[in-house]
Amino acid sequence: MRRLFKMPPQLIRICLLAVGIVAAYSIASYFLTPASFGEYGWYRGAALAEMATRDRVYAGMKACEECHSDESQKLMKHEHKSLACESCHGPGEAHAKDPRKDNVEKSSFATCLRCHEANPSRPKWHKQIVIKNHYTGSKCTECHVPHSPSEVP
Amino acid sequence: MTNDMINIVVEVMPHFEGYAYPNEATQQPLWGVLIVLYPYITGLVAGAFIMASLVRVFNVKALEPVYRLSLLTAFAFLLCAPLPLLFHLGHPERCFEVMMTPHLTSPMAIFGFVYAWYLMAVLLLELWFDYRRDFVAWSESTPGFQGMLYRLFTVGVTDDSEAAGQLDHKIGHILSVVGIPSAFLLHGYVGFIFGSVKANPWWGNVLMPIIFIMSAMVSGIALCVFNYMVLSWIRRKTVDMKCLDVMGMYLFYALVVDAAIEALDWIHRIYSAEEGFQVMQYMAQEKLFYTLNLGQVACGTLVPLVLLGLLQLIRRRVPELQRRRMYFSSAMLILIGVLAMRWNVVIGGQLFSKSLRGVMGYKMEFAGLEGWLMGAVLLCLPFITLTVMVKLFLSERLPTSGHIPHREDGPPALSPAKP
Amino acid sequence: MKNPLSRRSVIGRISAVVAGVLAAPAAKAAKAVTQKLLVSADAPKDYDPTKHKWLMAIDANRCIGCGLCAEACKKENRVPEGPYFRTWVERYIITKPKPGSGAARGETLVDCPNGGINGYPEAPVLKEEIQHSFFVPKLCNLCQHSPCVQVCPVGATFDAPDGAVLIDPKYCIGCGFCIQACPYGCRFLSPVTKTAEKCTLCYHRITRGLKPACVEVCPTQARIFGDLKNPKPDDPLERFYRDNLVVTLKPHLGTEPRLLYAGIDKEVR
Repeated sequence: MRRLFKMPPQLIRICLLAVGIVAAYSIASYFLTPASFGEYGWYRGAALAEMATRDRVYAGMKACEECHSDESQKLMKHEHKSLACESCHGPGEAHAKDPRKDNVEKSSFATCLRCHEANPSRPKWHKQIVIKNHYTGSKCTECHVPHSPSEVP
Repeated sequence: MTNDMINIVVEVMPHFEGYAYPNEATQQPLWGVLIVLYPYITGLVAGAFIMASLVRVFNVKALEPVYRLSLLTAFAFLLCAPLPLLFHLGHPERCFEVMMTPHLTSPMAIFGFVYAWYLMAVLLLELWFDYRRDFVAWSESTPGFQGMLYRLFTVGVTDDSEAAGQLDHKIGHILSVVGIPSAFLLHGYVGFIFGSVKANPWWGNVLMPIIFIMSAMVSGIALCVFNYMVLSWIRRKTVDMKCLDVMGMYLFYALVVDAAIEALDWIHRIYSAEEGFQVMQYMAQEKLFYTLNLGQVACGTLVPLVLLGLLQLIRRRVPELQRRRMYFSSAMLILIGVLAMRWNVVIGGQLFSKSLRGVMGYKMEFAGLEGWLMGAVLLCLPFITLTVMVKLFLSERLPTSGHIPHREDGPPALSPAKP
Repeated sequence: MKNPLSRRSVIGRISAVVAGVLAAPAAKAAKAVTQKLLVSADAPKDYDPTKHKWLMAIDANRCIGCGLCAEACKKENRVPEGPYFRTWVERYIITKPKPGSGAARGETLVDCPNGGINGYPEAPVLKEEIQHSFFVPKLCNLCQHSPCVQVCPVGATFDAPDGAVLIDPKYCIGCGFCIQACPYGCRFLSPVTKTAEKCTLCYHRITRGLKPACVEVCPTQARIFGDLKNPKPDDPLERFYRDNLVVTLKPHLGTEPRLLYAGIDKEVR
């Protein structure tokens, strides 16, 4: 122990400084590393929970079926069975929480054309129309029933 | 490919040709001028340190007049190096996370530790051991605030005997030896940041860290030439021509190696013409034409090679004034050329899409975090820092007892020797 | 010379020991206070990430390019306006070769106006010139050797145990390295949060038994989603990889993407 203090003073000071810096780093590291870090891997484990608790904008079909089961049953019988309610009617979580007429979309001419307008890039099995040859009005529902497309109104 | 690319007009994102992934269609690339400056500055640090270590480790006595200036240059530039990074981060207040939870698979995670190591264990220690006895002397002879500063820098150690000086010299030697691989690590990891990105064919190749290190050495030596000549001119002192000639020689050979490795990179790319070669070629010709051909190749490599090469061959026949001019202009051109090289690497890698089908543009803004103004300020800041350091540590009025001798066969060094 | 034991030194030593004993819990309490800022929610008690393995698959044969998925994702995840997309749909048009050129195909044109959200304009070539044309939805490829996770300097982006690749918005420093490292262009820097963002497989939905928003609204079931560890009866994902030969994007990079594609062409990168 005495020999340590026989080191030249510049070396002693430098060693003390180095020890001080390492100590400061260790203390800072203890306080500043988040508690859940390393729980599952090299990340903050609490992040998984935080990401899982964000609010939804789309409700999912189960939520729609709670009140509108007859519409969804009709849908399941015909060609539009691969669609979800929200495909045409837009985000439904706000409506599911507070069912009103004005917080969900009713869908329109544009909604139908979005999928059914003819486009050479669309697969051939998909039913498409060139609108100016097919219909010149403004409501597809004159001839088609969206929830059961093969029916005639 | 150039003839075949049809300019498809896309509503939202008109400033690219061909096809780019939608997330790439931002007005400016993600890594802009700030990320160009960081490798440039750390490269200058590494190169300036290598210049200093030529004196300490390889005993090149001719370079002793620039020893302290090189170390101070490295120090001043290193202090300013993290600024572009800090300004670029989306959340600079979280920057400490890199040191608290460094993700060891990431080359960027090494930044905190390499920077801290290089700053404290290499540069500061080497400077301290070289200046220690001078601090003791200056703290006694200088009045006022400056004297207090010198006393602070002595860290309370007041032994300025010859024996202590010998020990300082030995420790300084060890630190220089340790410092050389540290300098390579400091700048090599930056090259590896780019070299490790396999998603980007412009960046991801094995030569990238080597190219970065070699161009860093070239730029650092050029910076030392530049600083030495400017400082001598400001102080109206004659330049030590032997020192300048030796610096020019090292600069030339470093430039030859650097140019050879960069040429190898180009030749390999053009020869093997892997996937993405066509879009990269188009990008280099259209978007990087001036910075690549004019900036990096012509001004930054070919002209200095010719000037410095001539000086190696016919040095004795060239009068001193012309030699000084040739060294100075080569140094300036190299400094500009290496900055252009950093630009070409960083910005070039973001000017083509990872879909390899499109090319984007880059209009730099003037003000703003990634603009011309900020770039200019961050480039000037290290020089301002260096000025302060030169005033404090290379003052003409303060005598030195450092190991820099007064060379009998040459003009006085930048600061007067021990009386 | 040794100092004799004085009252002062005894008190000094005892207080040092007491301080040492109290230091550990005091430090823990101080740490909890400083870190309250970081954690804001408790885990959903019924969800164990190690018991699930989520996967998405794309059947490009079924995609009609309606863009409902891209729109739903923008709305569901509150993605900022502008060129920022967590998922998008690309259109590929492969033209016929010039007669007499001796080539099997003409040039390939790719576009993606606003991520496909508003549909696609008229094709830039006439219908007669088109040899093949199709749509390809793109999103995070759920790599097994994610280069994005590899390069994050602080551990803000990670592979969750249930197969999603996520970003911790409270920890990300916004350096952008992960965005550079992703070969598929699926990440972006949000101008709002100044952190990296990407497709999270709608983590807030799948942990509650719902489907991701894009899968929910897809009218032709071109996007197929499932839990490899808990397949449903007649699971569409099982049916997909049983009935289709699949490819992944950029396999030569070694990222081992888990996102499977059926029905795409060699021109898709």
